[in-house]
Amino acid sequence: QSFKLLGFLDVKSVPCARESVLYGSLGSLVVGLGHFLATSRVRRSCDFAVGGFICTMLGYWFYCRYNLAQHRIRQRMLKEGMRNKILFEGSSLDPERKQIGNERSDS
Amino acid sequence: MANHSQLGFQDASSPIMEELVEFHDHALMVALAICSLVLYLLTLMLMEKLSSNTVDAQEVELIWTILPAIVLVLLALPSLQILYMMDEINEPDLTLKAIGHQWYWTYEYTDFKDLTFDSYMIPSPELPQGHFRLLEVDHRVVIPMESPIRIIVTAGDVLHSWAIPTLGVKTDAIPGRLNQTSFITTRPGIFYGQCSEICGANHSYMPIVVESTPLTHFENWSSLLSS
Repeated sequence: QSFKLLGFLDVKSVPCARESVLYGSLGSLVVGLGHFLATSRVRRSCDFAVGGFICTMLGYWFYCRYNLAQHRIRQRMLKEGMRNKILFEGSSLDPERKQIGNERSDS
Repeated sequence: MANHSQLGFQDASSPIMEELVEFHDHALMVALAICSLVLYLLTLMLMEKLSSNTVDAQEVELIWTILPAIVLVLLALPSLQILYMMDEINEPDLTLKAIGHQWYWTYEYTDFKDLTFDSYMIPSPELPQGHFRLLEVDHRVVIPMESPIRIIVTAGDVLHSWAIPTLGVKTDAIPGRLNQTSFITTRPGIFYGQCSEICGANHSYMPIVVESTPLTHFENWSSLLSS
């Protein structure tokens, strides 16, 4: 089952969405409450809370998606490397064989 | 294929579709941020007393110019990246042609052998148990998996459109014109699509089914069909 924020963002199935919204809520609470404790101004504190929510949510979102993208690139490289290893193992194109050959010729 | 009452995308089966889904999630997150801000501002405005004392508003005008510009840049950069990625030139392993007719598709594999067949929808009364209504065809498009495929789409009579959502492919079939698209399937499977340009009474009844298989099975299939 999906849980959609504002009817369109499915936080359960979209990677990083749940954490972004939760961290955004935490950031909103911290900034809003902190501003209120410091200034006792309710309205301005609410403005800061909303701003804090948006900034924290988007900030964590970009950070998480960047890491996810790097992870996916590493996964693809690993998959390609594993396939090449299986394909070329023992053949003249095997990079490990070339490396061992180089080490032997060096020694 | 899509499940009943499905609103979101189907799982991606090609690298381009994976990127499109990622971009869609990114755009939705930006939309959530904007909606939250707008909802908050609306609530504030509804609680404020009306006033006609405002003379100028330099600061807020600066903010509501710069902020949307930043939002547009956040959306445009990944969008353009994917757009150019979709147009990358790769050397396809296989070229096939899809010709839209009223109301069926003709596929031609002319790279190695002259292989041509029509693909008609299987009517519901003839559908075997457990098969998908209005989606199954008598002859599927079989392609090798993890190989770049080029598909040239055209039509023989009226406008059609060759679309497979899970591969992120939708190409108009225009009579007298050849439109080219390419894709790579990342996994084996059966991928369903439907004609996406209104073409007459049976527009909803000319589906597309692509079967992605390992290369050996594809070779067996093509030699069986051409013999």
